[in-house]
Amino acid sequence: MSESKKKTQIKDFSTNIYDIKNKDEYSYKSKKGITKEIVEEISEQKNDPAWMRDFRLKALETYNKLELPTWGPNLDELNMDEIATYVRPKTDMKSSWDDVPEDIKNTFDALGIPEAEKESLAGVGAQYDSEVVYHSIKEDLVKQGVIYTDMETAVRDYPDIVKEHFMKCVPVSDHKFVALHGAVWSGGSFVYVPKGVQVDIPLQSYFRLNSPESGQFEHTLIIVDEGASLHFIEGCSAPKYNKVNLHVGCVELFVKKNAHLRYSTIENWSKNMMNLNTKRAIVEEGGKIEWVTGSFGSKVSMLYPMAVLNGANSKMEYTGISFAGHGQNLDTGLKVVHNAPNTSSVINSKSISKDGGIATFRSLERVMPSAKNSKLSVSCESLMLDNKSKSDTIPVSDIRTEEVEFSHEAKIGKISDEEIFYLMSRGISEEEAKAMIVRGFAYPISKELPLEYAVEMNNLINLELEGSIG
Amino acid sequence: MKNIVLNETPVRTSKNYGINNIEIKDFEEPVIKEFKNIKITDNENCVSSEKENINLKFGLGDYFLNQSNCQANVNLKINVDKKLKEPIIIEYNLDQSNDVLVDNININANDNTKANIIVIYKSVDEINGYHNGICNAEIGANANIHVTIVNLLNTKINNFYSVNSNIEDESKTLFSMVEFGGKYNVVNYYAKLAGYKSVNKLHSIYLGKEEQRIDLNYITELYGEKTNVDIEVNGALKDKAKKNFKGTIDFKTGSKKAKGKENEYCTLLSDTSYSKALPMLLCTEDDVEGEHSTATGKVDDNELFYIMTRGISEKEAKKMIVKAKFNSVIQGIKEATVQNLILEEVDRRLD
Repeated sequence: MSESKKKTQIKDFSTNIYDIKNKDEYSYKSKKGITKEIVEEISEQKNDPAWMRDFRLKALETYNKLELPTWGPNLDELNMDEIATYVRPKTDMKSSWDDVPEDIKNTFDALGIPEAEKESLAGVGAQYDSEVVYHSIKEDLVKQGVIYTDMETAVRDYPDIVKEHFMKCVPVSDHKFVALHGAVWSGGSFVYVPKGVQVDIPLQSYFRLNSPESGQFEHTLIIVDEGASLHFIEGCSAPKYNKVNLHVGCVELFVKKNAHLRYSTIENWSKNMMNLNTKRAIVEEGGKIEWVTGSFGSKVSMLYPMAVLNGANSKMEYTGISFAGHGQNLDTGLKVVHNAPNTSSVINSKSISKDGGIATFRSLERVMPSAKNSKLSVSCESLMLDNKSKSDTIPVSDIRTEEVEFSHEAKIGKISDEEIFYLMSRGISEEEAKAMIVRGFAYPISKELPLEYAVEMNNLINLELEGSIG
Repeated sequence: MKNIVLNETPVRTSKNYGINNIEIKDFEEPVIKEFKNIKITDNENCVSSEKENINLKFGLGDYFLNQSNCQANVNLKINVDKKLKEPIIIEYNLDQSNDVLVDNININANDNTKANIIVIYKSVDEINGYHNGICNAEIGANANIHVTIVNLLNTKINNFYSVNSNIEDESKTLFSMVEFGGKYNVVNYYAKLAGYKSVNKLHSIYLGKEEQRIDLNYITELYGEKTNVDIEVNGALKDKAKKNFKGTIDFKTGSKKAKGKENEYCTLLSDTSYSKALPMLLCTEDDVEGEHSTATGKVDDNELFYIMTRGISEKEAKKMIVKAKFNSVIQGIKEATVQNLILEEVDRRLD
């Protein structure tokens, strides 16, 4: 029984869908590096309005002024002179999969996107390299005034709303890579949910980077207006190349009064990817942001979704898991700023490291003097599967009022020998017992994921453990 | 005056969080002269005035280490070669004519020894002074050593202190730290658990008032198998006091079956006090158990109400609650006069 199950697991991943490499075909690819001329050329290629062109050039100035972070994973391998920041695929955006070029469509077919769209999504955006190649939204949502489109269309068709919000939540001065994003961004999704509209079925954007030695810089801007709700899912992957690829996306979320947004991410970039992404939500009175995050891929990740609780009674929940295997350095966590009375946040994080992988949980919980009667609860657990790996927990709390209840707990350790022994005494093999325990460890997170992603995560755990034994 | 940056954490995080180190913008270099106000109780003749250069793995920074090695006005060596029956008590008093103290204490505890060493720093109220101290302990195998550092300086003196220890096989060490004084009170504590089954307990209490700036950086590294670390920190802040607590438990490869636990609880007694905490767990060995917890909040309303229904004023009730939180550390010092001294200071500082 054990043998047949093992074979199934290998078969599941022998087709490794994420590693499909298409020929590097494009209609335009920028020169490698980051210069004023390249930024101007990208702006011209994208037919930017003047304000966006000026914005890009100012962001480039900021990029040139800012230093690399003096903390976190080593970024020495990243050489911007070797990265092409804009790759326009050989197609423009389509609203029917039949119109998407066959090789690109086949990739998304293999990733299960059109199938998921049919079964469980209210809208889909699919980005290939630097541009969105497919976008759709259910008709009934359009009738209710929901906008779900690519960012280029939004800049063109909704200039006022984009101008009001674009890089206001995450200013370009925030850090060097945000400034880089501001200069060369392309692709991404724009969502507006009008007042009171409940989008019951999730929208999903999927980001695929095919071109080697290139970067993806998509911008996601979501506004959930008063009393509205939305579940947005973001997935990302790329085939593995020998040289470094770069992902510097930016996600800006505006959760208005009494609105609710769940933002789920499954990140499975290839293990040559530097993933230096920035995500932030501003939450108004009575609003709620939920982050559900699974980080499995990339060579280096620095990812700390942030919530700014600006309105009284606003809430944040963070549920995250990261799995760092051989050659990976996943530095993940979150930031939350309580800026108004009666705000609350609940943070649950789990990390697993194995085979030399480095998993770091890093956080900031800040409570401002105005945030009377705030409550924060933080729990993080780390599981190490061998002693070649590394697991660090680096949480900062910054409490500036006495009217607060704040608690933080963290645990670190290995799979308990007693638990393995118990399961093995019931006739379960050691490998299966370990996988079972790890899945149990991850369960509180995986149960929050959309079903297909939870299955994918469990498969990933099977695969990773399979490689680690014997 | 100059800017200095000191007390770096072993691992950096974003500089925007303001906790990797502490910056003092109005640092005045002291004029170091003779220091005479020192009282030593040493009934078993272990203490001598002997100078030894110290190397610190962490410490506050080169400035403070060099000053201690080159310009210390008090150098003491404590040589423990047996199981001592009586405590060694060293008491420094800073006053108008002894307002700058740069001291280092080298403790050398041989195998199979036992000692209770208490070092107290006090001052008169109205002086602006300076203290830079280092306590270095080399602890042999199977020893049982308790070191207590009591900082009761006023809130105008700048206090900079480093503790460094190396602990060998099966030794048990307890460091009790009382952190009440100092305009800036900047403390670096490092323990290396080198030996098999070595134990390091660090029990600390802090109290901040007025505009005190407290920066505590407690670091433990576990190298030996079955080593054990227990960091327990309890503090209270009132007025505009600000505190950074940085606690690190670092499990090194090879520290199999080691255990590490770290708890910090900060009680905020005013709405203008400010608490930051960074409890780090670093780990390169899988076969360990590590955990930490921190909590921050005001005095529990139910506790306060319960005590006040017994006819006790709110202020006295808060004092009682803070003293109760400090109790296990104070009682652990095992020297009644020192316990009373600390309790009186808690009363005085919370008035």
